[in-house]
Amino acid sequence: MLTFEGFKAGMRRMAWVALFGVPFGIAFGAAAVEAGLSMAEIVAMSAIVYAGAAQFAMLQLWQQPLPLLSIAFVVLAVNARHFIFGAALAPLLNALPMRQRLLSAFVLSDANFADMQSARQSGSKDLGILVGGGFVMWLSWNATTALGAFIGGSEKDMSRFGIDVAMAAFFVTVVAAPARRASNLLPMGVAALVSVVTLSLLPHGWNVIAGALAGGIAGVAIPGVTRER
Amino acid sequence: MSADLAPWIAIAVAAGVTFGTRTLGPVIMARVPETKRVQRFLDSLSTSVIVAIVAGFLARGTLREAAALAAGALVMMLFQKPMLSMSTAMVVAAVWSSYPP
Repeated sequence: MLTFEGFKAGMRRMAWVALFGVPFGIAFGAAAVEAGLSMAEIVAMSAIVYAGAAQFAMLQLWQQPLPLLSIAFVVLAVNARHFIFGAALAPLLNALPMRQRLLSAFVLSDANFADMQSARQSGSKDLGILVGGGFVMWLSWNATTALGAFIGGSEKDMSRFGIDVAMAAFFVTVVAAPARRASNLLPMGVAALVSVVTLSLLPHGWNVIAGALAGGIAGVAIPGVTRER
Repeated sequence: MSADLAPWIAIAVAAGVTFGTRTLGPVIMARVPETKRVQRFLDSLSTSVIVAIVAGFLARGTLREAAALAAGALVMMLFQKPMLSMSTAMVVAAVWSSYPP
């Protein structure tokens, strides 16, 4: 299900989270200019790639001649966690008409996925919340990267205001509810442990996949783990 | 390949790969029968992926990040107010940066 009411609710729910993303967008725009991208390229990249961490990673590889294969691999590695987000939302996503499914997938990202999880825990199945939240994040990311590109290399020190912990702090608020249920603690513990242990063993970002899969398997393997909705 | 075109091709490749990562999860799951076990796996997976992201963030960080998120978690457990929890975490991180121990 995907409703306009849900879309509006998603926009409202994510507006304040998008606010905390502003410094990251500005930082990316400024860094991209320094890496040699034109304004048009920066705007296009934010609009159609729309993946902050992957875009920052691309800048590391942005030298002539552009290493297309390396760029493709790094983007795949950094974004591989999207597989897990998509799989977790599959029962809802696959019930949508194709056009809405593609739209939902295009705006699927960490923050609105996490927000959708919160909504599901409260009983909602409306992917409008995911799309509305994603739309706000997308708008904000595009506006702020363009602004950063325009004002140029004035990267602010984000740790001074605690902005660097904002996204992780938001994720903590999302997992707080399932953490209150004892049966969830073991899968969550397994996920955390595997993610940390594999951090230095796997390519960038794949520790998240390993941790998530291990947590998922633990949830099935342990008897008495009840369903979350 | 012309040098003018190369950045646009790189952007298109990145966009294609990224969109692929966003669409493949549901496509694979559509081919898996939706049994109770699969549902339990997906339910645990949804929470685990967020936990894994936070755990990786903490492992790369210092005591400052751990203190900030612990404070945020405590506030969330006590009051169940996401805004208050996030603000607490950010204030702890900001104060920690201003006054190094």
